Amino acid sequence: MMRKILTAEFAEKTRRPRRMGLRYSSILALLAALACVVLVRELRVLAKENAPRVQLHADNLGPRSIEDLTSKSIPRDYALAWQTMEQALEENRPGLLDGYFTGIAKQDLTQRVHSQIKSGLHTRYQDGGHKLEAIFYSPAGDVMELRDRAKLDIEIMDGGKVIYQEPVSIEYTVTMTPGADRWLVRELQASGGVKP
Amino acid sequence: MRSVLTAFIVCLFALAAGAAELHPPAQVTAGNSITIATSGSGDATFYLIGQSVASKRHVQAGTEIAVDSEQLERAGIYTAILCASDGCASANFVVTPAAPNRLSFLVHPSRVPVDSPNRISAVAFVQDNFHNFVLKSEAVKFSVLPKDGKEISATRNSENGVAWVRLSSAKKEGPTRLGAEIGHANEIRVVQQVAADACNLRIKASRAKKDFLVETDPVKDCSGNSVPDGTVVSFTKVDEAGKATVDVPIKRGVAKVELPVDGRAKITVASGVVTGNELEVAGGQ
Repeated sequence: MMRKILTAEFAEKTRRPRRMGLRYSSILALLAALACVVLVRELRVLAKENAPRVQLHADNLGPRSIEDLTSKSIPRDYALAWQTMEQALEENRPGLLDGYFTGIAKQDLTQRVHSQIKSGLHTRYQDGGHKLEAIFYSPAGDVMELRDRAKLDIEIMDGGKVIYQEPVSIEYTVTMTPGADRWLVRELQASGGVKP
Repeated sequence: MRSVLTAFIVCLFALAAGAAELHPPAQVTAGNSITIATSGSGDATFYLIGQSVASKRHVQAGTEIAVDSEQLERAGIYTAILCASDGCASANFVVTPAAPNRLSFLVHPSRVPVDSPNRISAVAFVQDNFHNFVLKSEAVKFSVLPKDGKEISATRNSENGVAWVRLSSAKKEGPTRLGAEIGHANEIRVVQQVAADACNLRIKASRAKKDFLVETDPVKDCSGNSVPDGTVVSFTKVDEAGKATVDVPIKRGVAKVELPVDGRAKITVASGVVTGNELEVAGGQ
């Protein structure tokens, strides 16, 4: 009888660490799963922020027809231009505009960032996407004019205080010219805007 | 959920904006100064946000705020914001381009062979004095001003701020000036018209010591223009030793080469895709 009790106690002692181990490993697995969910969600948010959605329509383009490669480069580079512009205006970093802007567009935006720095302002964009319509492609292929219908949530801040916040739909007239390895935004002129 | 939240925030802003209001003109022509009427009272901060501007200054609410013409040179949507102790009010207004008075004129290519139909393209972007695109339709006058010829001109209406034409090159080589005109702007670009491909390429051979001197007649295009020096002419010889090709640039209008010949040989000439006559010679004769 005594022997049986001892054996049962011994068995109980050996089972306890196993149970504890199982418990800890299940908690760890649960935490890991939770971390994965959070990470995936964050990555999705990041991906969303990193590349604004740009849809290009080139059905009515002329006089030159768009090349396959160009039809992929234009929306990609335009999205990256907006991404860098939004970042430059939020973080007041004019250097970010060097990558995808040139000419008068770069000059304007650089000036805007410098005056934001001077005034202590910054602008935050929530980009709701761009419908880009190519309307003119020069016969020599050296310039393209486009119309962009952009949906944006604009927030202007003075230091940490929000002084303006509004969702807007703005129509831009855009010209892009080819650079060494990308298309650059040369002109970005808001030609009309309506509140949604 | 997000749109509801946004609407709520906008409503909050609208409520907050109830005390002080801004009344900018709905539309302003670029490069003009404006005054913005405000309501309310006390110290306030005025912000002006545009394509190239983000300014901030202290004002008195309830007074008229002057905005310099220099701040309104770029066309686009501007936001005026007035923040007083009771909150912020904002209003958007549009700055439209001024009268067209500037052209961004692109001409391609800068060198073109003579007698090439629709080979030159001229594109003009219509702008005002402040580099804003003028999107409404405007007449742009394109002209061709040959070196010793009569001016030819044509007018095209711009669409979305762009007017363009295609032009053919003349039959005679030399520079030609292309112009585009609108308002006070008159932009000129020069296109060099060069001879086209060689035409009627002919060679002759004569003895030179042990070798044959093979020489072209003056190389000209089909319109009689001299093909420029440096253009490559290829001489090919086929004899008992095999086939050999020599590339020679044109110098002073002709291309020439000395070729050693074993026995009977055939010599041909070509420049680009144009071939010339064929000679049969015999070495040792």
